[in-house]
Amino acid sequence: MIFSPLTILWALPIVGGFLALALRSGKRAGVFSIALSLISLAFCALLPWREGAALAVTGPAWAYGIHYALSMDGLSWVMCLLNAFLTVIALVSSLGEERSAGYWAAFLFLEGALMGVFLASDLFLFYVFWEVVLIPMFFIIGLWGSANRKHAAVKFFLFTFFGSVLMLLGILALVTLRHRATGVWSWDMQGLQGVATGPAAWAIFAALTVGFGVKVPIVPLHTWLPDAHTEAPAAGSIMLAGVMLKMGVYGFLRIAIPIFPHLSWRLLPWLAAIAAINIIYGAFCALAQSDLKRLVAYSSIAHLGFCLVGVFSRTVEGLAGGTLQLINHGLTTGALFLMVGILYERSHKRGIRDFGALFGQAPWLTFFFSFSIMASIGLPGLNGFVGEFMSLAGAARVLPILAVAGVAGVTLAAAYALPAYQLVFWGDRGPSSVSSHVTDLTVREQALLWVLCLGMLYIGLHPSGLLSVITPATKGLAL
Amino acid sequence: MNQAVWAVCFALFAVGLSLLILRRELLVMLLGLELMVNAANIGVVYGASLTGDAAGLSAALLIIAVAAAEAVIGLSLILRVYQSGRSPESDVLRELRG
Amino acid sequence: MTAVLPLSAILIFAAPISAVLISFFLVRPFKPRWTHWPILISCAVVAVSAVRIAMRVYTTGPLDVTLAQWMVAGSWSLSFGLRLDGLSSAVLAMVAVVGALIHVYAAGYMEEDECMPRFFLFFHLFYLAMIGLLTSNNYVQLYLFWEMVGMASYYLIGFWYHKATARRAAMQAFLVNRVGDFGFMLAALLLLSAFPGSGARFTAVFPAVAKAPPALVCAIGYLLFWAATAKSAQFPLYFWLPDAMEGPTPVSALMHAATMVTAGIFLMARSWPLIAGVPHLPHLIAWVGAATALGAGIVAATKTDLKRILAYSTVSHLGIMALGVGLGEIGAGIFHLITHGFFKAVLFLCAGNIAHGLGKPTATVDEAGGLIKKMPLTFVCFTVAAFSLAGIWPFAGFYSKDAVLDAAHAFGPGMGLVASAIGFMSAFYIFRMLFLVFLGPRPRQEGGEHGGHHIHEAGLWMGIPVLLISIGAVCVGWFGGQLQSLLSMGWMAAAAPTVPHMKVLEAWPSLALAFAGAAASYWWTTIKPNWDWDWREKSPALAAVFASDFGWKPAMAWVAQAVVALSNWLGLSLDKGSWDRLIEASAEGAVEAGGAGAALATGSVNDYVWWMAAGVAVLLLAVLFL
Repeated sequence: MIFSPLTILWALPIVGGFLALALRSGKRAGVFSIALSLISLAFCALLPWREGAALAVTGPAWAYGIHYALSMDGLSWVMCLLNAFLTVIALVSSLGEERSAGYWAAFLFLEGALMGVFLASDLFLFYVFWEVVLIPMFFIIGLWGSANRKHAAVKFFLFTFFGSVLMLLGILALVTLRHRATGVWSWDMQGLQGVATGPAAWAIFAALTVGFGVKVPIVPLHTWLPDAHTEAPAAGSIMLAGVMLKMGVYGFLRIAIPIFPHLSWRLLPWLAAIAAINIIYGAFCALAQSDLKRLVAYSSIAHLGFCLVGVFSRTVEGLAGGTLQLINHGLTTGALFLMVGILYERSHKRGIRDFGALFGQAPWLTFFFSFSIMASIGLPGLNGFVGEFMSLAGAARVLPILAVAGVAGVTLAAAYALPAYQLVFWGDRGPSSVSSHVTDLTVREQALLWVLCLGMLYIGLHPSGLLSVITPATKGLAL
Repeated sequence: MNQAVWAVCFALFAVGLSLLILRRELLVMLLGLELMVNAANIGVVYGASLTGDAAGLSAALLIIAVAAAEAVIGLSLILRVYQSGRSPESDVLRELRG
Repeated sequence: MTAVLPLSAILIFAAPISAVLISFFLVRPFKPRWTHWPILISCAVVAVSAVRIAMRVYTTGPLDVTLAQWMVAGSWSLSFGLRLDGLSSAVLAMVAVVGALIHVYAAGYMEEDECMPRFFLFFHLFYLAMIGLLTSNNYVQLYLFWEMVGMASYYLIGFWYHKATARRAAMQAFLVNRVGDFGFMLAALLLLSAFPGSGARFTAVFPAVAKAPPALVCAIGYLLFWAATAKSAQFPLYFWLPDAMEGPTPVSALMHAATMVTAGIFLMARSWPLIAGVPHLPHLIAWVGAATALGAGIVAATKTDLKRILAYSTVSHLGIMALGVGLGEIGAGIFHLITHGFFKAVLFLCAGNIAHGLGKPTATVDEAGGLIKKMPLTFVCFTVAAFSLAGIWPFAGFYSKDAVLDAAHAFGPGMGLVASAIGFMSAFYIFRMLFLVFLGPRPRQEGGEHGGHHIHEAGLWMGIPVLLISIGAVCVGWFGGQLQSLLSMGWMAAAAPTVPHMKVLEAWPSLALAFAGAAASYWWTTIKPNWDWDWREKSPALAAVFASDFGWKPAMAWVAQAVVALSNWLGLSLDKGSWDRLIEASAEGAVEAGGAGAALATGSVNDYVWWMAAGVAVLLLAVLFL
């Protein structure tokens, strides 16, 4: 039986996207899309899944053992929830300017495809959704982005496509090996442990790591990210940083590590080095940036390094913390990109030195920006600290030097964030042609930011709600 | 006797091929093409006569008919080129460049 | 939960939180000039509750209770909890009372400032954070409030954000403290891994110290000390404190004298059961404290900005507290922390009165002189506090400071020599300040007439708190015995801390040193009225040495530049310049290869036939020979 709540979860936005296109007028499409995304969010939040009785749906077999198979456990649920929530935020934030119907439709398609990624439990279906995600994002960056959008969109597409192809090779190898061992063609995600051994296992794990790593992004494979973020429209950046980057870590959690539990443990020094380099290198690069969006982009690289630290540590608290940090990062970076987008919308400038003394004329913007920046640099009491601390606690138990690198990253975070904040919001008044355009937040923007910031505070002080969902799902990977 | 026929066949083919490759004028290239087809036909006829296979001879007749048809089409295309005023040379007609 | 917690323990949190929320959401949008009223009420409640808590702990003993879960993952968990024992309630009482009075002072000081509402909100948030820091029952919660205090400090130092110096000072303070927090966070992580299942609670960690891996305990100890050097301004991470004087005077008085900076000392006292067992660490703490105390004391004697003198004096006295702790005299160290809170606050508030009277954020020695007639109340309070700072009987400082210096003498001759120098310099610099500001005016001084302003005594809002705190600066020292009993409540190491009782007749050497310092300063400020200006002009090189903190400030500036240079290299030339270029070059290479391929399609039929013939020949050969 294909028809089930899980199918609705991904199909609703996609169908909605087509309907939005049919509506022709940008205004009507906008209202329709926001309504649909809210319905989607409510639907996701209220899904009746329970620990131990995870929702699943399996359809008839296609060819070579490919099934239409979806399933939802705690991890998938929080990712879908994050996706739905940030889509609402991204869409509502786009109301500031005139948009065409295609713009709204693209975001709905994106939401649906992302839901599919997080729900798929058949490897072929997973790959299809993984690739479909690229298409709306390509158009979002390429059609509605900034000056250099075409170059950034093509670079984004080709770079991540290259990674996905490697991932596909790995998946194909695994499925073929399973067929050779058992005589059965099956693309199910379960049951692939031990299928690959020796050099084949190393090669496949490497392919999967590169494939997921391009999305995370892992440091040598990260150069698509700054360009993509800088050129994407604000709502596009919110979705890109808030949800799409999580696909990579999700892939590690769902596929790479469960299939290779011992190999990934043996490779811990290397994987830890990758995560540590992400944190430190990302922080240093962020320090050097003078474009606000690029700075937040590099800070995302550093934050995802923390998630990887937690995941690779294979401890209960590390895995839970790293996964929670995915959600925290979505909130914090979503808020930051939202505000940078507001600044750009008002003044058409993004440079740190283009502004000055914005506190005087936009106090609420300053307030929310301070709040989000403090969450981003891991101030305890806000959400960033919880994820980082739990990840590093896991790392400290397993590989103390990794914890040292992580804490160094926390220290560096303040170094790149605060000077930028000060230059923009404190400081001497910048050229009046720029600053005078930056009026304070509208009610709509304030509402969005209140929701995001209260969420940051709530998770920072009382993360147990989310943790009680995440921990049972991830502790299976702990050693 | 065998060798002579095959030698003639291959020699004619080689001449036709070289005309096709080396000459620029369209009519000459068509000539070379016809030479190649007829050279191949000689080979088919001689092969059929060696094996005594009647089907081979009918194939040769078919080839003659096809060559005639193709020559008609080729000539009419070249005529159109002449009539359009453009120079009928292959290094001039280069629209399908990469 | 309410049955377990006494009302005062609930109030010390509930009052500030509700005051901030009420002020921010209900008062500020409608009547911004009244923002401070809920906050002042909250201060009163907190001060009373803190004193009651101290009395409760004194009579019935400590209280340690876990309140709520914070982070949970499987069997790993952290929770929020409250610990009210002797150490925390003693320091809490001082912080609450002094803090409340400084809030009142701030109501007068910030009256004309248009951003007064914002000031009070952050000031009270800081107050809340400090209370939370002192009453935490585990290291991670303490770290939470430690960072929150740092955040409040950032916004308060940079309060007048239009000034570039204030912005720079705020950033410097936050970043240097972050560097110290590296130590704290890492120590907390190592604690959780060395003491699994403890949730880093003090009651779970300290009894198990002996059984934990010694290398980890060692690392934790040194890391906690590193964190304390940043927060409590010891060498090498002290240099943010003098520049932090850019904040308004109430900020300097409360945070950078009485409370926030003592958090590091508090941390070390709290962690004593762990630190005591780490080899060499207590001695390191003692020597670093002593060296910082002496160095800062010398530099304090050369400064001309009133708040800067007091800032270096704070660094110096924090060094004395660290010295006390390092020598194992926790009682003396904490006693000095408490008395210092009182007399240093008075000194800062008096400096604030002077600056406020001149209409400036801070005043220098050049603008003062002869103020004894124009500001008699300030003079009296300042003198009382100065005597206390110099450690003269029967003022509070005598009982605490001389106890520490006494222990230093008992430690060894080298330490004793340094201690004597510290005693002398303390008296010297504070009496220098006293004489330069209130006696005179000297030829180079303006005597309180700056740019048309005639200096006058401060109003009631500012005068009464100073008076009340000065009473503390006199009397607090007489309660050493009570403090000792209080500290023993809930002390988690084997030997409870003792507060040595100083008797004036036995302490005559340190009293003599103090008087000598005072006399020396009198000589060089009043008997030779121009000396303070002349030596700077005669030996500018020497002045430069002191101005750069014996060369440490330029060294730190160099480190900051190196970090920026490294990040520029990584972020711009390596990442964008080299690596990204390489990747884009691969794209360009693909385009080139495509172009080369496209060049084969010449459009000439002859070429195509040539390729076809060649292809057929190859295929023929393959079929025939393979």
